[in-house]
Amino acid sequence: MDRTVGISSLTALVIAVAAPVLAGPSEPGSVAATAVDTLKSGAEAPDSNYWIFVANESSDLVSLVRFGPDGAVLADDLEVGLMPADLDGAHGVRVAPDGKHVYVSLAHGTPFGKVWSYRTADGALADSVTVGLFPATIAVTPDGSMGFVVNFNLHGNPVPSSVSAVFLPEMIEMARIETCIKPHGSRMNRAGTRHYSVCVGDDHLVEISVERLKVRRAMKVTPGAEQVLESLGEAPVGASAGPVCGPTWVVPSFDDKHLYVACNKHGDVIELDAESLAVLRRFPAGKGPYNLDVTRDGRLLLATNKGAQSVSIFDLKSGEEVARVPTTQPITHGVVTTPDSRYAFVSNEAIGATRGTIDVIDLMSLELVASTEVHHQPGGIDFWKSAPVH
Amino acid sequence: MRIVSMLVAFALAACSASSQTPPTATPDAAGEATADASDASEDQATVAQAREDSAEPEGPADPNPHITGDMAASARVAELKISPSPVEFTRGETVLIQGRLTDEAGQQVTGARWAVLVPGPLDVESIKDSIPDSYTFSGDTPGSYTVPITMPHVEDNAIEWRRFTEFEVIVRDWPVARIDIDSPAYGTYEGSVFGLDARAITTHETVHATADVSWSSSNPEIISMTPDGIATFKSPGQAVLSASAEGLEGSLTVQVQPNPVRSVELSADQDGVRTGDVVHLSPDVLGAGGRQLEDVSIAYSVAAIAGPADGAQVYDDATFVADAPGAYRVMATAGGRSASVVVEATPREARRVSQLVGRGAVAHVATSDLWVFEGNDGRDYTYTGTHAQGGGERMYVWDVTDAGSPVLTDSVVVDARVVNDVKVNEDASWAIITREGASDRKNGIIVLNLADPAHPTIIAQLTDSLTAGIHNVWINGDVVYAVNDGTSAMHIIDLADPTAPAHVGRWEVRPGEQNKSLHDIWAQDGLAYLSYWNDGLVILDVGAGIKGGTPRDPQFVSKYQYRTQQPEEYGNTHTAYRYGNYVFLGDEIFGCGDCVNGPRGYIHVVDVSDIENPQEVGRYQVPEAGTHNIWVEDGLLYIAYYQGGLRVVDVSGELRGDLYRQGREVAWFQSVGEEGEAIVPNSPLAWGPQPHKGNIFMSDMNSGLWVIQVEPPERPLVP
Repeated sequence: MDRTVGISSLTALVIAVAAPVLAGPSEPGSVAATAVDTLKSGAEAPDSNYWIFVANESSDLVSLVRFGPDGAVLADDLEVGLMPADLDGAHGVRVAPDGKHVYVSLAHGTPFGKVWSYRTADGALADSVTVGLFPATIAVTPDGSMGFVVNFNLHGNPVPSSVSAVFLPEMIEMARIETCIKPHGSRMNRAGTRHYSVCVGDDHLVEISVERLKVRRAMKVTPGAEQVLESLGEAPVGASAGPVCGPTWVVPSFDDKHLYVACNKHGDVIELDAESLAVLRRFPAGKGPYNLDVTRDGRLLLATNKGAQSVSIFDLKSGEEVARVPTTQPITHGVVTTPDSRYAFVSNEAIGATRGTIDVIDLMSLELVASTEVHHQPGGIDFWKSAPVH
Repeated sequence: MRIVSMLVAFALAACSASSQTPPTATPDAAGEATADASDASEDQATVAQAREDSAEPEGPADPNPHITGDMAASARVAELKISPSPVEFTRGETVLIQGRLTDEAGQQVTGARWAVLVPGPLDVESIKDSIPDSYTFSGDTPGSYTVPITMPHVEDNAIEWRRFTEFEVIVRDWPVARIDIDSPAYGTYEGSVFGLDARAITTHETVHATADVSWSSSNPEIISMTPDGIATFKSPGQAVLSASAEGLEGSLTVQVQPNPVRSVELSADQDGVRTGDVVHLSPDVLGAGGRQLEDVSIAYSVAAIAGPADGAQVYDDATFVADAPGAYRVMATAGGRSASVVVEATPREARRVSQLVGRGAVAHVATSDLWVFEGNDGRDYTYTGTHAQGGGERMYVWDVTDAGSPVLTDSVVVDARVVNDVKVNEDASWAIITREGASDRKNGIIVLNLADPAHPTIIAQLTDSLTAGIHNVWINGDVVYAVNDGTSAMHIIDLADPTAPAHVGRWEVRPGEQNKSLHDIWAQDGLAYLSYWNDGLVILDVGAGIKGGTPRDPQFVSKYQYRTQQPEEYGNTHTAYRYGNYVFLGDEIFGCGDCVNGPRGYIHVVDVSDIENPQEVGRYQVPEAGTHNIWVEDGLLYIAYYQGGLRVVDVSGELRGDLYRQGREVAWFQSVGEEGEAIVPNSPLAWGPQPHKGNIFMSDMNSGLWVIQVEPPERPLVP
């Protein structure tokens, strides 16, 4: 069954009906005052169309956003989830390396969440698999065979959770690898041999062997008490007064030589040597750095500042924060850069019934050049493809 | 979907296909509609082109960097043999398996890429980095598992993983230590037929998971046995019955007594009933001299004299119910003697008329639960929550004193994307609304002051330990029971001071385990009924004096777990309501094979007259729809049946069997919102009903508030 849905039709229908006139911050469908639906005046027009997927956690829709010479536009949506009376919570989104599938984590279940696989060619739901509690971020091996989804268990008891390893061609959970408290920020190295995640609840960085589907080593990333661990059992998890770093994301550099960890509570980003896990540098960011991405040319590191409605952009050569770009809505969440290192797409959750936005940042001018509304609480975001404009 | 996926089919049918719809979602921005519309065809064309491009990359592709040498080696593999063969081990053990890969010439291939796909209960680890082509297997769930092997197939510069072969893994249970045989449930009299039970017990004192117990008799002329344990007691004498499994045997020596039955008499407490009325049969099995025999097994049967052949049921506990009008002969047989009675069944009451009284249309945002009450100002109010579609950040306040004209007086806005539940306390001085989807991910509950019920105000909130979101609450005096989405526990909150809610405890099934999901709580008369999804109904003593529980310190009473139509799984227990001797349990099932037009699920009628031993005795099921919230009052069960609208079911008297077939449904009402009065027109999505002062108030997710009146019957429900 083709599950592609032009939700716009439904939305139009809904909005066409007058809402009761009552007090409130905004009515559904209202446009953010700072949104830039067309290309910002003076900005250099891209010579390609770029396509990204973003998961709207409180609408259970995955939006396809196009950015091109005319600016950014919500082009289409995929429905996700089954339960009308419960939000299924589309949270993470990851596109297969060959672009033929997009994987979406559904955070809520009874109780376990799922990963759904869609064919990008026609938007049809291809398959799904049940994973752990509150699956969040997804990583995919470069050959597209394995997916790793962190079972965030954000609101459950503060006990170690897990990373689910999924064989993607058949959507079979191969292993549920116990890690630490509130794992988040799932990413692969370029070689496809190691998987990285961090644990918000107890300041751990975890490295998993893709071959063995076991924890290879770990690291305590608490500022001032960093320590490489042979196993997670070395340090009593959750025994401290609470996380100091509060890591929410880890991403390897494109050459696999470095790792970058967002210390959400500490307000900075750590640069680690990927082999030794030695701390090399710290980059102070805005309040609550949350998600990260690095450009493929190795030039820039981007951090969404969830508590500061902005994106910090760091020059990796100098280590300087070269720009802090305000975003169009608060609760700045995800960021993904284009393979040509030319643009970054940023998701902003917004609050309540106000729709979230996708902002586009020009990585040459380091300015916001376009934005479009999507649905409620956009979070996980990934690049799908680009195509030259003819 | 959520609301979208269920409704979009209707939306698209009504409004055209998705490919014809505007692609952008900024329709309320004045002046932009034209621009969006003009972009529509171009954007759709671009989307289609993008998908085409994705399916077929342009031009000669660069070499795929992910095609590695081990994949090339995989292409040479013609055969993969696993050793040992078969792979077999006892639960708890770990075995090493190794693959030998050969090409078409029978030469070994090394360095090829392959993987095993692990069936859930097995624990498999690749150790290829230390021993080539090897895995370790372990597991604790006995059974036979087929393990597929997959390999990458490279073609046209693309990698496709294909199943190459498969092998079997057998996990044995612990050895059988003995066979336990139960004593016969009835007297072993000549002429009797009934089943016997036996179990294979392992060396670890568990019931063996896979052993089949097979029965035999030393003398089939005296007692014949089927292999699965049905005994026919043929003639007086002695026989040894054997139950064997895995090479071990247990035995039971049985003396068959002469048939003592001289006659059977049967009477019924009613012989003229309506469909759905429960008839109690009184069989008397009599021996010599008219002596009453208590331990003879009795078999019941029913045959239609007039009416459909399957129009009535008789149960082993000597009860009879007619589903369809007719005359039925009910027979009891014991020791080769029989007796029968005839029961005539007439139709239940004619359907009642339901009609619309008033509407509070909500068409811009989905509506969730409701609560109807008389406020301290003497006027009547309905509070309705809002759900995600359109932005569920509000609770709406309706003055329904004139039920025919609900008046929206105010709303309460909170940081949320779903206000799922609304509850008002007994003296209508305060209320609770629940939050999900808060922007700071700290949800919890909001306490409202109802001093002015037309304009409630927020006086407190509690988010600590409730961050995940609260799906439902129940108010029990000055205590609130909250369904915590994150912990799947019932959190107990003290609201003696409504301005300062405070945690005082929590209760959950299987503490420490994660695989559970609490959905709803309802409490009355000192008992709390928890709808615990796959764990079924859980009953707690919260002050009934049964197990010493109090509102703040609940104590477990009993549990009733059942399977849904998904045969391998328990669950989907969504809502529960106690009325009389029964708890009415509702399922919520989405995504099932039958869910072609939306959800499925039905009402389970559970007899709790023995509160520690709940028994399911009946059901009410609308075949083409799915249940949501329910209410029972004055012998009528009101069900918001999602796409089936409101259903009103006569649940007066004793209940047994299929209430739908029995004609106990007395009224229904489809909440069909018209264009402009519903998110999607003509698509009922009934959420929750509540009777109040002669009317039925019902929220519909798709269209807001409905006020319905069901006309009274012409005669009493119970004669």
